[in-house]
Amino acid sequence: MLRSLRGLVCHPQKLDHRYALHTAAKDCLSSLVKQDVQTPAEGPRAVFYTSENDPANHAEHHEGRHYTIPLEEVKAVFPHGLPHRFQQQIKTFNEACLMVRKPALELFAYLKKSNFAHPAVRYVIYGEKGTGKTMTLCHVVHYCSRQGWLVLHIPDAHLWVKNCRELLQSSYNKDRLDQPLQASFWLKNFKTSNERFLKEIKTQRKYVWGKRDSTEEGRPLGEVVEQGLARVRNASDAVGVVLKEIKQQCHLGFFRLLVAVDGVNALWGRTTLKKEDKSPVSPEELTLVYNLRKMMRNDWDSRTGHSIPEEVSQERNRGALLERNSLDHWNQHGELWNCKWRGCRDDPQPDWFAFQTPFCLFAARAAGEAQLSSRAAISTTGIAAGCSTRERTRRRGRRSCGS
Amino acid sequence: MAAPSAAGLARRLRAWLPRLTPVRWSRYGPSYLEPDVSKELYQKPLEELSEEEKEKLKLRAVHPIKAAPPSVSTSVFSDPMISKFTNMMMKNGNKVLARSLMSQTLEAIKRKQLEKYHKAPEGEKETIECNPYVIFHQALKNCQPIIGLSSITRGGKTYQVPVPLNDSRKRFLAMKWLITECRENKHRRTLMPEKLSQELLQAFNNEGPIIKKKHVLHKMAEANRAYAHFRWW
Repeated sequence: MLRSLRGLVCHPQKLDHRYALHTAAKDCLSSLVKQDVQTPAEGPRAVFYTSENDPANHAEHHEGRHYTIPLEEVKAVFPHGLPHRFQQQIKTFNEACLMVRKPALELFAYLKKSNFAHPAVRYVIYGEKGTGKTMTLCHVVHYCSRQGWLVLHIPDAHLWVKNCRELLQSSYNKDRLDQPLQASFWLKNFKTSNERFLKEIKTQRKYVWGKRDSTEEGRPLGEVVEQGLARVRNASDAVGVVLKEIKQQCHLGFFRLLVAVDGVNALWGRTTLKKEDKSPVSPEELTLVYNLRKMMRNDWDSRTGHSIPEEVSQERNRGALLERNSLDHWNQHGELWNCKWRGCRDDPQPDWFAFQTPFCLFAARAAGEAQLSSRAAISTTGIAAGCSTRERTRRRGRRSCGS
Repeated sequence: MAAPSAAGLARRLRAWLPRLTPVRWSRYGPSYLEPDVSKELYQKPLEELSEEEKEKLKLRAVHPIKAAPPSVSTSVFSDPMISKFTNMMMKNGNKVLARSLMSQTLEAIKRKQLEKYHKAPEGEKETIECNPYVIFHQALKNCQPIIGLSSITRGGKTYQVPVPLNDSRKRFLAMKWLITECRENKHRRTLMPEKLSQELLQAFNNEGPIIKKKHVLHKMAEANRAYAHFRWW
């Protein structure tokens, strides 16, 4: 310490000298920065950006380039759903530029070739933390909304299973719990993004909300949404009704449906919520989660199909998707297609894939992550147990290798 | 009495046995020179050097040089003012946190200025400064007081006497005021980078609480002009 003080005493000009040098350097830099901001050099822009703003026309030669989404479209298509950091970037730079990447292109290929006569196909986007799963999902959502599909986008399923202040007992089913705030927030955003469908889809049943409120058969779905927004107590039930109606009417052929859920492993994991008697709440007991799980199933008698790209997030519940009950849930209905994050599968072969996939999922997970919750390790099948039991790490630490 | 004689004894002992009593000394001998950390000097070809620079280089070739402290760097991104500010913001030796706060502050300043830039009409775009380093340096320069007050006791009473300040003291006061203001006068839930970026932008435009504090100090010094002759240095 003494040495440094002496240094400062002996060379009082040193700080100034370096400061002067630095200001000179910084002046140069600032003038350069100003130039770049005022007149963007054509060279970098041509290399990094592409003028093809329609996701349907994105091909391999667009890979690695950014395309711009006009700001009005951002407000219409993504009222919720973009990650927070990306929203900050949009606010700062006054433009929304998304990068075209291989997994998104792969998904587009599958969606274009999908046969809607078959039952619904479900896609899982998985990967390490910070690799761009949410952005891929947003790219797919943008593509589908441009194609005129009805997009059911749940921005973050984790928000429905934790940090919920108000839990009401559901009036429809005594065992279940309602979440009025989350439901009404989601309904508001759903309304913004899918205005025209709410006028076209009509209810097929009468719904009674209370002593005085009811929605007749044949009324547009917009009324159900209005009811949910007006009476917050009925919001969760309104969400359930909307999901049921959409699912039933999908096969009539008026629209194509995309169900996009971010952080889907939250639906099968544990919640941090507690009932009044301090007992933990399991996800099935939440109305929103229960209804959403019904959407995830493949038992649609659909002639016009839909697809469900989902995204598995890297939270503590990450072992949840691999639990036995959810495995059977996926396994029963056979097809589970994988969009692997690093490296593309060249020719997906669905028939062979249907059996291999759950195990492939395990292998990719066990190799890619340092931590698997021990619960998942116990409940997995024999093949995977060998590679996952070596990491009996503490469940407490949330730090994964990506950070 | 026992106490002064004991102290006197200790002093005499220390002079006689310098190595046995613990004293904080530099481990470097007198021939050690300070390190010269500038790329520009060493990248110049020999012909361009002036006579005195050549002499200096020859001297440095034969003398031992002290080790350079780890905080000093020749990188274009390192700035001694920013390092000093970061060290002053640091608590309990947590340099990692202080540095991350500093970089978040600079990012916040850049974002705010870019937003203003994109919203401004064409004519005003050149006047908006987007470089956070320039804003930081200018803000600190605006916060530096010219004259300070020092307490001098005469005849039992303590007077606040206006005294000139040297550069390092001015810089220190500016940084100290900035940090204290950001720590104390903010809402519990506001984070440091946000508050600091706000204060720096205000100081850059010569407004805000720190500029006010500087003006108050100047006014006090002006008011106490009469006592200026108490200063003997």
